[in-house]
Amino acid sequence: MNKTFNTTSAPHIPSRISVQKVMLWVCLALLPAILAHVFYFGLGIVLQMILATTSAYLFEWWCLKWRKQPLKPFITDLSALVTAWLFVLCISPIAPWYVSVVGMFFAIVVAKHLYGGLGNNIFNPAMVGFAVILIAFPQSMSLWLPPSELIGLSQTVEPLSFSELLNWIFSGHQQTQVDAVTAATPLAAIQTGLQQNYSLSEITAQTIFGDFGGMGWEWIANWLFIGGLVLLYKRIITWHVPVALLVTTLVFSTPFYLFNNDVFMSPLQHIFSGGIMLAAFFIATDPTSGCSSNRGKLIFAAGVAILTVLIRNFGSFPDGVAFAILLMNMSAPLIDRLTIPAPYGKKPGALP
Amino acid sequence: MVNRPTNQSQSHFHGGLVLRHHKKSSCDPAVKSAGIPNKLMIALKANRGVAAEPVVKIGDHVLKGQVIAGPDHPFGTFAHAPTSGIVTAIDEQPTAGSDASEALTITIKPDGQEQWLGTEHKCLPENRFEIIEQIRQAGIIGMGGAGFPAHIKYQQDTATIQHNATTLIINGAECEPYISCDERLMLDHPVEIIKGTQWLIKAAEAQQAIIAIEDNIGGVKKQLDEQLKQQQIHNITVVKVPTIYPTGGEKQLIKVLTGQEVPSGQTPLAVGVVMQNVATAKAVYDAIELQRPLIDRVVTVTGDSIKQPRNYLALIGTPFAHLLRLADCQDDVDKLVVGGPMMGYAMPHEQIGIEKTTNCLLALPKDCTKPEIKAMPCIRCGDCVKVCPQELLPQQLLWYINGNGQANDLEKAREHHVFDCIECGACSWVCPSHINLVDFYRFAKSELTYLDHKRAKADQARLRHENREARMERIKAERQAKRRQKTAQLADKDSAKKEISAVLQRIKQQTQETADE
Repeated sequence: MNKTFNTTSAPHIPSRISVQKVMLWVCLALLPAILAHVFYFGLGIVLQMILATTSAYLFEWWCLKWRKQPLKPFITDLSALVTAWLFVLCISPIAPWYVSVVGMFFAIVVAKHLYGGLGNNIFNPAMVGFAVILIAFPQSMSLWLPPSELIGLSQTVEPLSFSELLNWIFSGHQQTQVDAVTAATPLAAIQTGLQQNYSLSEITAQTIFGDFGGMGWEWIANWLFIGGLVLLYKRIITWHVPVALLVTTLVFSTPFYLFNNDVFMSPLQHIFSGGIMLAAFFIATDPTSGCSSNRGKLIFAAGVAILTVLIRNFGSFPDGVAFAILLMNMSAPLIDRLTIPAPYGKKPGALP
Repeated sequence: MVNRPTNQSQSHFHGGLVLRHHKKSSCDPAVKSAGIPNKLMIALKANRGVAAEPVVKIGDHVLKGQVIAGPDHPFGTFAHAPTSGIVTAIDEQPTAGSDASEALTITIKPDGQEQWLGTEHKCLPENRFEIIEQIRQAGIIGMGGAGFPAHIKYQQDTATIQHNATTLIINGAECEPYISCDERLMLDHPVEIIKGTQWLIKAAEAQQAIIAIEDNIGGVKKQLDEQLKQQQIHNITVVKVPTIYPTGGEKQLIKVLTGQEVPSGQTPLAVGVVMQNVATAKAVYDAIELQRPLIDRVVTVTGDSIKQPRNYLALIGTPFAHLLRLADCQDDVDKLVVGGPMMGYAMPHEQIGIEKTTNCLLALPKDCTKPEIKAMPCIRCGDCVKVCPQELLPQQLLWYINGNGQANDLEKAREHHVFDCIECGACSWVCPSHINLVDFYRFAKSELTYLDHKRAKADQARLRHENREARMERIKAERQAKRRQKTAQLADKDSAKKEISAVLQRIKQQTQETADE
């Protein structure tokens, strides 16, 4: 007669949200940009995705075993997939195979699991992986493919066939091939150009440049923007980080541009080149390594923008997004401490 | 436009959730009496208050409406026999509160006679103090959930002299899903609620009252407005508020209706508001105009395990089992919840009596309850921040309370305002990692309260010890000083003696020398 019931605590009704779904939406939001990448730069990124995803999951599996964590919930949470995809969107589509493997090792093993796994990483794993690659293999990062729009126009560059691509990634490339099929990234082209005392307008007259950023690049940025809007719509991210990051980039780069537009890129060039758009919607919005309060998010994103512009304008690397993110990741706990929002009933100026 | 009682337009509280209501099925059928069960278990406590002392003995025959327990404490409340019968037990029993915690319970076996205690007809109260006293005598407590003794809310301002309650808010915004007892009560008893409200306005000496209802309930506002118009009452307004959980929370509703926030750690009186549930207003009417103490209430019996969900008028102390049987409860119950699905308490079994605050019995089968999946780590996604109606940082609180493998830092949780958490459960509900966040905050609050208590005691002990040490030191010093003085004096005497004797000797020598010559 005396039945006993389950006495777990409230809330008693389920909601249908899960970590897995959050991660899945991030991946889906990246898809348009990845497709654009394929359109402009060929199937290289698909091969890199396969490489990075496979190695990410092998490392994930190994770390979970080693840390004696339950496999199923953590393997299926899709967080490693997000890390892998963000990483491949940063690297060159023709990077040799070990770039993805090494990058994923540092992302998954060092940045994620050594810090305590999902939710405990101080640094954004994909950015740690990418920063290591930038420093360890700078040359392979400077070799990019020319955008497909260009291939028809120019005699000097020819597209890579799929078998050539496989060869390129897995068994290295001959030096003779390099000039025939590659092109610099727009930001790298600007840097080398400036080092050779060309003015910015001369450099951007090169064929790889489009309206604002690099040809193809600016369209990938557009698709990233649209993917970001999806995340905003699904309320996976809030407006604070993207708006603060993009606005600060525009505002902070303007005085440099006005001061000397021969050396410093225009604000729109900043926005549409390199990793700014990816950072604004997908990387600086990473909640684990970012700030928690809304005010904190604004400061965090503004910091990323300022550091990126400074590194691009004065640093020795063409793009500074990865380093800017990592530097701000370090500052995030401090920003969080200084921006604890006043809760209900404790706002300044309220009744005593 | 409704004639807004305040100058500000309706404002919003931060965050909140839009939940499925699940109210219609239980609200549509008319209220049915639950009858007299074979026993009544009356727990002697206000939900967070102090237990009342029984004034009956085992074996006593009690009449309906007779006082069976009286308050020994200003926060305690009177309990009355819900029907006539014999007291069969007075002992500790699980109650319909948090964790089904035990409290002194009077068990009455009804005799089925429903014999009322003959009371001398009281006059209607003349002034606010008489109203408050009649509310107290009727054993009325806040019937919305917290169970705060109703009369205390009106006494406070006399104690502090500062009389500043200008607005009485009658809370008809039951924001938890499934619960429909307040809506049903407003549909069935608009006149009584309005009259009860008028008495409460007098008790608070407020200028106006607002009856707040959620905008998803249709007929209620029309009905109340018609009554107000008919009776030409102008100081009561009915206001619809958006149906966002937890809009019925005291602090949230005050923000929505007045635009003001109740300062942390203070009562609504700080912003000139007294709030009372609609069921309480009805109970006040019963107490004053019908001279009927609070011995029954409307309870929603609902949930997916209940075949015929509806509202029952049940005597206080009616065992859950009785109500579940009446409502045709299936055998597949996984959780039996007292209150709503967001904040209610899961009961271990059905042999517990309803209390004055029990607004809902929710029986849920396994497929409707939250699955027991192992929580994933917090990914700091911030969804909890977005929904928190108190504007806290739930994920930061978790970080400090959980400690993430290291010692937890509860003082940091205090810095992050853990004591401002109202435990509404919105954060737990949205958490993609399925972390039961509110459990952590409850733990931190109780632990911090305990630590503070311990620290206060330790401080006191330390102070006592230090005072004693200082006293001892002083006494010792005084003693030493005295001794030093004495020895000094003694030493002085000795040297004087020596000097004298030396002088004497010298004189002696001199006299001898002169004598020798």
